[in-house]
Amino acid sequence: MELAVLSLSFLLFLVLGVPVAFAIGLSCLATFAVEGLPLATAMQMMVSGMNVFSFLAIPFFIFSGELMLHGGIADKILDFARSMVGHMRGGLGLANVMASTLFGGVSGSPIADTSAMGGVLIPIMKREGYSADYAVNVTTHASLTGALMPTSHNMIIYAFAAQAASGMIGGHVIRGVSIGDLMFAGLVPVFWIMVCMLIAAYWQAVHNGFPKRADGSSMLEKFPGWGAVLRTFIAAIPGLMVIGVILGCVMGGVATATEAAAIAVAYSLLLTSLIYRTMSRAKVVMALKKASKTTGVILLLIGVSNMLRWQMAYLEIPDAIEAALLHATTTPWLMLLYINIIQIFLGIFLDMAAHILITTPLFLPLAIQMGVGPVQFGMMLLLNCALGLVHPPVGTVQFVGCAIGNISIGEATKTAWPYYLAIWVAINLVTYVPAFSTWLPSLITGHPVF
Amino acid sequence: MEIFTSVCAHLSNGVLRLASLCLAALGIVVIYGVVMRYGFSDAPAYVEQVALLLVISVAMFGAAAGVHDAGHIGLDSAVKMLSEKGQFWCGVLVDLLTIAFALVLLWGSLEMAISTHKDTIPTLGISEAYRYLPVMIAGVLIVLFATKHLLTVFKQPPTMAQAATKAD
Repeated sequence: MELAVLSLSFLLFLVLGVPVAFAIGLSCLATFAVEGLPLATAMQMMVSGMNVFSFLAIPFFIFSGELMLHGGIADKILDFARSMVGHMRGGLGLANVMASTLFGGVSGSPIADTSAMGGVLIPIMKREGYSADYAVNVTTHASLTGALMPTSHNMIIYAFAAQAASGMIGGHVIRGVSIGDLMFAGLVPVFWIMVCMLIAAYWQAVHNGFPKRADGSSMLEKFPGWGAVLRTFIAAIPGLMVIGVILGCVMGGVATATEAAAIAVAYSLLLTSLIYRTMSRAKVVMALKKASKTTGVILLLIGVSNMLRWQMAYLEIPDAIEAALLHATTTPWLMLLYINIIQIFLGIFLDMAAHILITTPLFLPLAIQMGVGPVQFGMMLLLNCALGLVHPPVGTVQFVGCAIGNISIGEATKTAWPYYLAIWVAINLVTYVPAFSTWLPSLITGHPVF
Repeated sequence: MEIFTSVCAHLSNGVLRLASLCLAALGIVVIYGVVMRYGFSDAPAYVEQVALLLVISVAMFGAAAGVHDAGHIGLDSAVKMLSEKGQFWCGVLVDLLTIAFALVLLWGSLEMAISTHKDTIPTLGISEAYRYLPVMIAGVLIVLFATKHLLTVFKQPPTMAQAATKAD
């Protein structure tokens, strides 16, 4: 009965268009009422879910991304990418992929990335002979890498959700997950996704003859020379250094992930104010306001997701799902395939923060049983969630890109398949080749990472 | 009605400014903690608790402003398939459910504040009830903002009201 109330009311609220955070909250409250539990307990769950010290990194990473966005760092990165590959067939598409990947690493937010790069590049690409759907798709899909970079607040959420992970893999005891390991684990998959996106963007550009004039003839940019490439690269380095600052602080033991995020804010502020001189008081206030609102939306989701996690544990839902999946198969590769399919399906409906918090306790214990450690599973999960950001009906990143490109989601989705394929290949590599995500953190930290 | 709309707009702007101030203070407090720990080997014990109070304020005030500006993420694909009348009533229902959630938020947090007001937050020495204060304020604001939206939708001519519902 309680399970029916929880699941059916959640689905009903979602279909009615109730915002996801309120839909989760209302369905949990309805279940609390049916169970006869005090509603104050639900509030306690919500507040305690938000009141976690490691979650302080979330507003900092969001604020740092906003400062980068408004402080002109995106422009420097774009100049470098354009000088490097802008002269090739589909040059602006390739520059877009490179710039979106690099800025994704700096901002850690696919939405901020799409707003920054898309806002500049999509109108230029349309003017320079690229179709709107091509311009939107290269921007939105390349920006997904932000979710796997060290500046990603979703990584912090996952680290919290996976803190209770335990088990044995290859004779090694697994207890929780290190945020430092996670930060390095995303770098190889991100590089691979960028390469796949470059191939997909190049192939589509060649296939469609982009860039082309209205009469159908081709138009290519001139290579500005290696001197220009070096100049733009040097100008972009201080902005890109934020990734190094965070990794250095965490791995050097100077600061925790939360403190490193606060240091990243100070670094972004000093860089844009004193070195680039592109920051103004009005821009800082705007960045603060946007970051506060985004933090509110995400932390409310985290709070209500904590209510839902408690409710699921109370109703023993994780045990039931584990038993059902183990009944279906005990073959590791098949189990991981099932987990990926379910994750992709859930990613279509759930926001990333809620998705991570709700599904980690459901699937991580099973993944560990199948020999997949919490770091590798984290990369699988983040990639599956990232795919949901560009997939209709809730693909928030795709919505932002389409709004900038002034086309419908349907039009953009029709030609997005090469990019979906690229991400799908990356998901499978992360799932079935452990070294893809664990080799680099193992190499850098000097201890085996799973 | 115009006065109520204007009051809500001012409240939303005010609460967002307050959230921004809390966020700025949060950054300063955490960096101060790092500097004190490494520069002076004197990590202040109260930093963590102050930061936690500030982050809950940023979150709840930001969430309330998000309701005013329709910033919360929802699934509207199914609703879009309905007739204009159906979409209109779904929009009304969403506002009513938002109000219901905010009322429970207000009531539940008030109950928690009352039950914990004698406990003190470690290192700060103030009542635990302060932790629930931003939640209560956000509850009141969400009720006001969702009510404003509901009244706006009903006040406008049918086609404009439907458009307003769709825009959200």
